[in-house]
Amino acid sequence: MSRSHISMDVIFEMNRREFVRTVTGCTAAAGALMLGVPTSAREKEAAPEVTTNIAEFLKVPKTPHSLPGPFPGRVVKVTDPRSLVDERVDGKVVAEMVERGIRTLTGTSMKKSFRMFFTRDDVVGLKVNPVGPPLISTKPEIAEVVISWLVDNKLPVRNIVIWDRFDLDLKDAGFTASRFPGVRIQALQTMVEEGHSFRDAGGNHISAGNFDPDVYYFAKGVVGKGVRGYQDDEFYLNQHVFAGEYSYLGNLLTRDITKLVNLAAYKNTGNGISMATKNVGYAAVCNTGRLHAPLGFKVCTEVLAAPAVRDKLVLNITDGLRGQYEGGPDKNEKFVYPNRSLYFATDPFALDAVCHRELVAKRKEMGIAVNEHPRFTEYLNYAEKLGLGIADPARIALVRV
Amino acid sequence: MRPPVVLAALAIVGGTALAGGDGPLLPPSGFLGTWNVEGKPRLFPGSELYGHIDGGAEIFFEFGFEEATVQRYRSPAGEVVVEHYTMSDPLGALGIYLGKCGKETPDPTLAERHTAGRFQLMFVRDRYFVIVDNLAGTPALTPVLVEFARFIASRLPESRPVTVFDTLPKQGQIEGSRRLIRGPVALEAIATLGRGDILQLGGRTAAVAADYSDAAGKYTVIIATYPDVQAAAAAFRNLTDNLDSEIKPLARTETRLVFRDYDGTFGTASLGASRLELRLRLRQEPPLK
Repeated sequence: MSRSHISMDVIFEMNRREFVRTVTGCTAAAGALMLGVPTSAREKEAAPEVTTNIAEFLKVPKTPHSLPGPFPGRVVKVTDPRSLVDERVDGKVVAEMVERGIRTLTGTSMKKSFRMFFTRDDVVGLKVNPVGPPLISTKPEIAEVVISWLVDNKLPVRNIVIWDRFDLDLKDAGFTASRFPGVRIQALQTMVEEGHSFRDAGGNHISAGNFDPDVYYFAKGVVGKGVRGYQDDEFYLNQHVFAGEYSYLGNLLTRDITKLVNLAAYKNTGNGISMATKNVGYAAVCNTGRLHAPLGFKVCTEVLAAPAVRDKLVLNITDGLRGQYEGGPDKNEKFVYPNRSLYFATDPFALDAVCHRELVAKRKEMGIAVNEHPRFTEYLNYAEKLGLGIADPARIALVRV
Repeated sequence: MRPPVVLAALAIVGGTALAGGDGPLLPPSGFLGTWNVEGKPRLFPGSELYGHIDGGAEIFFEFGFEEATVQRYRSPAGEVVVEHYTMSDPLGALGIYLGKCGKETPDPTLAERHTAGRFQLMFVRDRYFVIVDNLAGTPALTPVLVEFARFIASRLPESRPVTVFDTLPKQGQIEGSRRLIRGPVALEAIATLGRGDILQLGGRTAAVAADYSDAAGKYTVIIATYPDVQAAAAAFRNLTDNLDSEIKPLARTETRLVFRDYDGTFGTASLGASRLELRLRLRQEPPLK
């Protein structure tokens, strides 16, 4: 079963000329306001802006580990036909691929690569994508290889956390204590099953304490009230914990994890992709239902600019053993194909730029109607303007192994 | 907050049929000898579908989603999950199916419109859309998926003939490219024409779409048939007045618009009586008339 975020596609009514000219605000949906306005007049109007706290994020000085990391614009793609045979993942081959990928990315040994990203005192969070098991979720085999690498370099296993936003999704995708002994399996929140209140005795959401009230993504005037598609505000709260202008980051990210490894899946969400940046952008914070319509993919850029993410996200591995080019982000076998590839980058925006282009090519190859409207990729260019990564194809180096 | 829905859901699996036919709607324990119900059925009425679908629920709402029932089954051979979606009308169910079925790969023994694979079988019948998942993808279970589908289909009313696609030209139509559109979610998959419900379909008016191929290349046709002339004219005005800013209008009359899209291809919107016809991704600039 699946949980959580709403699809990025249409509800996501981003402004067509999405680019933010300043970092104090961002252009956003102008839909309703534009109805009935002649084109010529509309062109001259300034789009309404949603003010976010991106400027506050950018004021915080970068650290040596800040995005885009030591290899901006560098993406390594490792392909091995033995990795997925008869729908079975070969863990040994995956281990070889991960080693090849990391070594090619860093240009050094696994041991030195470890030191490049981590210390033995780090608490390392592995952010997986558990949506769409078993076809198109992050494969546990990849998490196992990364864990082995960390432990082999003397990081205590108790310092490793496999996490996502919702608890039931993790279990369904095979991220269980029995499969990962000693590793913490942790969700930022729980969504309560039928017949039970999600509130505690004090009337608060039982997961409210899992989020950091001091660290948040702010979107002025965008609240979780009357959000389209939700039966009522109570239901929204059940799923999103808070409903105001603040999307708090999980304590796990702000207080516990010191480094983050992003293990995304390789799939579409409508005409865009749900890969590296969305895997973190829409999972590190609560109260996201309100954000889709006015901000859409921009959240994938701005949440990754938050220092609690920006300065900890040291490595991205996108699980492209299988790909899904249509019908995502939930699984649809008709559009799943064996891609037998893993992708590596410290720069998640370059990584998504590469994967987006690949998936568009796949959609064309398979005869899917392709809508390449700029709105589906502008968040990547926005990230480049903010200095978080590289989106310009001319500046991206894709290394195939 | 979810209401207590377990009793209603139990009726679907173990009690009376809710849709048609005799007996329970979903297979009871002991199905095919070894398949037993695993846990309680889960019912997702209305917008609680978000509790089940993580990304992609909006298209269900646009096509008139009413409720979904999800039931797990287990046998020594593996695990199967049935997802049973009730839509407000047959076109809604067909719209969902067409958006998800891809190139259909039917099992010759199943009469319903369906597509069957190793991991999933999905079918549509009347106003019901059903997915049967083989969680492990075990090839030996492929016939089991068919039997689950056959059982469920036998409990549902028969589908009626679909005529909505008759408005589409047949010549040059690419097989398997037909789509239904009732609002912005389905439209966005094909094209970005403007914000919101730019064609003013309102979740009720069904537009049909298909891809075509001729000597000049591939293009897409969308035809929306409105309840009356006024509604069609209003939709045409809304479109022409609120075109996406990446689209450049080239020429316009009271009943026709010619434009260039973001990718350099051309398009037209033509108003005729209660019908609005769009042609997209044309390689050559079409005439105004």
